[in-house]
This record gives sequence, structure tokens and C-alpha cells, in this order.
Amino acid sequence: MPLSTQYFGKNILITGSSRGVGRLLAEYLTSNGALVIGFSRGESSLAHSNYRHIKVDIGDPHSIQHGFRNIKDLVSHLDILINNAGVATSQYAMVMLSKDVQEMLNVNILGSFLVSREASKLMRKNKWGRIINMGSIMSSLEPAGGSIYAASKAALITMSNVMAKELSSLNITCNTLALSGYPTEMMDSLSPEVLKNVIEGLTIPRLTTGDDIFNVIDFLSSDRSSFITAQTIYLGGVN
Amino acid sequence: MIDRETVEKVIFDALRNLNEERPTNEQIKVSSETELFGGQSSLDSLSLVSIVVDIEAEIADLSNAEVSLTDERAMSQEISPFNNVNTLTNYILLLLSEYGNAT
Repeated sequence: MPLSTQYFGKNILITGSSRGVGRLLAEYLTSNGALVIGFSRGESSLAHSNYRHIKVDIGDPHSIQHGFRNIKDLVSHLDILINNAGVATSQYAMVMLSKDVQEMLNVNILGSFLVSREASKLMRKNKWGRIINMGSIMSSLEPAGGSIYAASKAALITMSNVMAKELSSLNITCNTLALSGYPTEMMDSLSPEVLKNVIEGLTIPRLTTGDDIFNVIDFLSSDRSSFITAQTIYLGGVN
Repeated sequence: MIDRETVEKVIFDALRNLNEERPTNEQIKVSSETELFGGQSSLDSLSLVSIVVDIEAEIADLSNAEVSLTDERAMSQEISPFNNVNTLTNYILLLLSEYGNAT
């Protein structure tokens, strides 16, 4: 993994930190000197002296409040939030179950909003903060089967852009990294046909690598990116 | 148990915090009569939000009571809690008394 000094002394919250991209980022950021607090429903197997895990269900507002009470016992402020937790169900609208719709909206939108709301309160103390929302290229590609998932990720972009305005005077930026296909359990939930079509339709038709993600996280987190806000960066040539 | 003087101090501290972020010619007077919203208030909406966030957090730390100062109930009070520091103090004491945390 590349070594970046920009994270030394930074307190970072990552949601959905026990698996997939969240886990990857927790490993990357702890190994680069950040204190990382991870939220996820289950335990985390990440054993690093810079990692603190709190069991939080992002789909449950009470659980989020509980998580932030615990954060306040660990750190006095937050520097960076990576809203990574997400739920994806790929299904044709006519047979999509309402419980799956509700779960996607609870985690992808309501949960991300509540975490951003609480995190921004812990960023304003230092008048510095970076909120990075993990979006998806699906919000732009709008593939069949992705009606609610794509809509929830589009809503996440809008939420991020509005919060960017509200938080700009506190030197807190809000941006979205719209991920392309990265091999995780979540990607397994997509039908192979949808996935194949998505990847083949990219300007650069390949899966995402960890370094593709680190590169954008480094950029958006950087001190030098204080003038970069309300932006969405799509991986793979989507726009 | 939290008394009136403590609640008032929490609000004053929030106003002082805000003053630290404002230029010298835009300082807010810190007193019981300071208007917070509408009328003669010099606070914009984001400044008011900053004060509310500070007050809610400090009250939660002092009392373990999670009071919300911006819910429907607050907005539907006959006398707005945000008229001035005094009315906000009264409203917070009312909420805390319901938690059994005010004297």
C-alpha cells in the first residue's frame, strides 16, 4: 500500500467498515497513521492499534445515536467521515419487495444523513472536515434492476451537494465518490448479466482496484482540496 | 440537577463560542435579553444552528438528557423559545424538568 502522511493525527469514521470497501479503507487509513473508528452491524476482525470498532446498524437511528455517544468517549472531534455503508438489491421493479426498498432507503439515505449530521457537529469544533459519500456509477447508468439502489445513490449525491452549502463556512467539504465495480459481497448481489453489461459499458471496461479508490480518497481528504466541494467523481469514465 | 444559572451559562458559552468566529464589529451581546431569532436579532440561520448544536450537546453532557430544541414542540410554543436567552432558558428548564433534571 502507498504511504501517505496526510492522515497522521486524523480521526476518521468509516461506516460499513467490517467488509468490502469499508474494510479496505480501514486497513489503508490505519496503516497510514489515522485513528479509524469503524461502524458496522457485526464485529470486525481488523486488529490494528489505530482501529476502534463500534457495532452500529446504520439502518437504525437509535443505533447511530448510540454509536456517536461511544465516539465521544474516544475522541473530541472528527476530521473525516467516509459514508460507505450501503445496501444493494438488484431486482426488477415489478417484483421488488417493499422490505428491500425500505432497507436500501434506511441505510443508503437516512443512515448516511444521520451519520453526516452527527459527524458534522464533531467537525465544526475544529472548523475542518471532509465528508466523503460513497456513491455508485449506477446513479448515472440507471441499469434495469437498479431502480431503488440507483435512486438512493442519486439522492446521496443531492444530499451531499446540499450539505456542502450548509457546511462550507465551517471549512467542511462534502463530496461523492461514485464507485464502479469492486469485487465485494455487495457486488455478488447484482445479477451477472447486469454486472457484465455495466463493466463492458464503461469507458475503461475493467473492475475497480483498491488503488483507484485510495487515489480519490487521498485527493478529497487532502488539505489542498479545501476548494473542492459538492463534486461527484465517477470511476471508470462514467459521467 | 441543573439550575437556571447553569442553563443560562450554557447559552452564554454558546454565544461566546459564536463570537469567537465572528469579526469584532459583529459581536453578539451576551446577556439574558439577547434576542436570538427575528426582531432585533443579528444572528443568521446558520449561526442560530451553531448555537443550538452547542447547547444541545452541553445539556446532554451535563444531564444525560437528550433535549431537542428544534422539534415541532419547540416551534409550536406560544412564546418562541428563540425570542431571547431568557425564553430559551425557560424552555430548556421546562424540558429538563420533564426529565426530572431541573431545579
